[in-house]
Amino acid sequence: MLAAEANRAHRDEAIALWILKAASAFFILSITLLIGYLTVEGTKLFTVDHKSVFEFLFSPTFSPEQGKVGALPFILGSLFVTAFAVAVGGPFGVAVGIFFSELAPKRVASALKPAIELLVGIPSVVYGWLGLTLLVPLIRQVTGTSGFGLLAGGIVLSLMILPTVISLSEDALKVVPNSLREGSLALGATRWETISLVLVPAAKSGLAVAVILGMARAIGETLAIQLVLGNAPVMPSGLLNSASALTSEIVMDMGGASQGSLLQHSLFSMAFLLLLIAMGLIVLIKLALRKSS
Amino acid sequence: MANALAVTEAPAIKTSGNARIRRTVDQLATVFLWGAAFFIVLLLAVFIIYMFYLGSGSISWHFLFGLPSEMTAGGGVGPEIYNSFYILFMTLLFTVPISLAAGIYLQEYAATGRFRQAVQFSAESLATVPSIVMGLFGLLVFVQSLHWGFSALAGAVTLTLLNLPALMRVTQEALASVPDTYREASMGLGGTKWQTIVRVVLPSAIGPLTTGIVLVSGRIFGETAALIYTAGTSVAHGMGAYDLNPFRSAETLAVHLWYTHSEALIPDVDRVGNGSALVLLVMVLIFNVLARVVGRALTVRFTGKA
Amino acid sequence: MIDRENLTPEQAAGAKMNIEGMDVYYGSFHAIKGANLKVPDRHVMALIGPSGCGKSTFLRALNRMHDLTPGARVTGKVTLDGTDIYAPTVDPVSVRHRIGMVFQRPNPFPKSIFENVIYGPKLHGERNSAKLMEICERSLRSAAIWDEAKDRLHKSALDLSGGQQQRLCIARVLAVEPEVILMDEPASALDPIATSKIEDLIGELKKDYTVIIVTHSMQQAARISDFTTFFLLGELLEVGTTSDIFTRPKDKRTEDYITGRYG
Repeated sequence: MLAAEANRAHRDEAIALWILKAASAFFILSITLLIGYLTVEGTKLFTVDHKSVFEFLFSPTFSPEQGKVGALPFILGSLFVTAFAVAVGGPFGVAVGIFFSELAPKRVASALKPAIELLVGIPSVVYGWLGLTLLVPLIRQVTGTSGFGLLAGGIVLSLMILPTVISLSEDALKVVPNSLREGSLALGATRWETISLVLVPAAKSGLAVAVILGMARAIGETLAIQLVLGNAPVMPSGLLNSASALTSEIVMDMGGASQGSLLQHSLFSMAFLLLLIAMGLIVLIKLALRKSS
Repeated sequence: MANALAVTEAPAIKTSGNARIRRTVDQLATVFLWGAAFFIVLLLAVFIIYMFYLGSGSISWHFLFGLPSEMTAGGGVGPEIYNSFYILFMTLLFTVPISLAAGIYLQEYAATGRFRQAVQFSAESLATVPSIVMGLFGLLVFVQSLHWGFSALAGAVTLTLLNLPALMRVTQEALASVPDTYREASMGLGGTKWQTIVRVVLPSAIGPLTTGIVLVSGRIFGETAALIYTAGTSVAHGMGAYDLNPFRSAETLAVHLWYTHSEALIPDVDRVGNGSALVLLVMVLIFNVLARVVGRALTVRFTGKA
Repeated sequence: MIDRENLTPEQAAGAKMNIEGMDVYYGSFHAIKGANLKVPDRHVMALIGPSGCGKSTFLRALNRMHDLTPGARVTGKVTLDGTDIYAPTVDPVSVRHRIGMVFQRPNPFPKSIFENVIYGPKLHGERNSAKLMEICERSLRSAAIWDEAKDRLHKSALDLSGGQQQRLCIARVLAVEPEVILMDEPASALDPIATSKIEDLIGELKKDYTVIIVTHSMQQAARISDFTTFFLLGELLEVGTTSDIFTRPKDKRTEDYITGRYG
């Protein structure tokens, strides 16, 4: 290249690099602003309204019009429904992940994979709507209750986290070197023994990440559960009674919350709590990954 | 010793005592794992069939293009569908350049370093923010502080923040799928890194890039929680709902589905809901298929290989 | 016609394994063509030949490892003490108890040394922890790695060096108490010192086990094996005592390979 052209190329690159870096920095800016704004707004309940953190986290009564801002009902609701989803969707998802990684012949895998991808793409509001039109009446028929409640929410959530857990589990297993499979089989192990005694232990940190990410999805899920939980702002009292979660409560009441009100501040504190939980899960994932190396 | 190869009484292949149990366990496990996978697929099939069964009755020209009604039966979801697309395109307009640029930077330029780690960590953090929380952030900043009110723009910018990590990941993976040999060849011929990226790497990556963008578009189309309190739950009256003004309230189809089941006053909630759910499902299906088809076509076109 | 029956009658009569008319196909690719071989009991049989000639493919057919490869097909008869291991009534899992395999790259599980060695016996139902420890020590001793392992039995096997890991893999196979040990270039990934340790070990093992070893090194075959089989392009061309093969090969192609005409 002639010197002039070379100079121009280098200059173009310098400009481009500047733009690329700015775009990357935008990510840092966004998350910083997000955390900043939510921290400020999310703590107004404590700084401006002078409510105690203890009350917020542990009091079972939520009625802001009477000055009571205990978010425990929602915290427990979220925890329960997430635990349910992980307990049901976790093992199931890992099992299907094992299927895709170890058992499915190529043709079957390529036929079934698009189905899993489709499940990922279905919007959460459609899952909620399906829960409303299919699951709730079913529960109603079987148990004679309204059908709304933690059971419905848990089942819907289990379904929602399945695709995430499936594909991450499959990835975790595929990374295990083939030499381990051969070694185990050559010692006279059956395929299931190889999977359960060698492969799953070898992939355990990747599988843990799969489940944790499923958990993260579950706890942040709003629409799918809001339509089937029943949304009574009371302490959870059983699988079949109306209940609420942090996310569903926020979406339910935010519309009617006037600016600066106790209700609004409470809701933002709940959002802030959700953010903290999400960040906490990231740290958990990093720890799980560090353990593997 | 004399006779060659006298075949003596051959003992059967020795099996240890528990071999039969082990074999049974193996077979049971196999059946269970196959069953689990097919159960999921079956479930999906049931959902899809059910949604078509319930919703196809609602679909009509009037439904797809007509205006919604506040309190009477017979409304359509035309403006909502329009808003879904409108917000989708606006979101992509913002998100694609930024995440493409960041993805290129992280994948091609910054191998290590504090800046890279900060960006990576920011992206991962953004990715785990629940959508309702992002929606509240949007409410706080765009709707209230910046005084945009409930608007398509507020919704689009909020969705941008929500989807930046996903598209950056798409970009990184698309770039990673391009073999290093191409880069080496280009640099060896005297190209700068930037020229290599623009002329060789990006065109080669365009298939996976497009697939990823279309798939993310499907998710944007169905997004609800982040839009309820940013883009709002109403549409402008009359034909004003079909304009390009980004500052008007812009209820999308997904939000409408939620709204009709939570707050609405119309008597034919089921009809509208079933139809909306079906339209959403069909759109997701289309996005999925389109992603694959277009991705493959572009790969062939730009790299000459299937 | 190549005379493949050139083992001495004593040795032929004591054949541990007898391969008759074996063909292996990968899809439509004919990898092994009509192989016949008698493997004498408690001796070392080396399989040599240029790379890609099918030695490993042949070896893997001897413990039904091809069952795990989709598209692979094995026909013919492979008998162990007179019983065809490919008979429909035979469980491949049981075959692999009697015929063990050591791979080219050491592949210990990411578990402790102890857990690695007792993996096989545990599968067979051995639960008694004293017995398991005894098996572990015996196997590690037989694999000439007891001294190096005894103080770190419960530490990760991955901390061992390459040569140590390979001896651990051998111990792991020995713990299952096979009768035949198949080795697929077991020392090719190791340095010369580790290699010579493995070779010494093979010399000891043949007292109790039948060893079939694939090797790309003729010198190694000459050092450690009693019998040698020459493969070329999927065909088993010649078999005989090692000294016969190397000093008086009957087939010109064998001779060309031995003398280094091709590699």
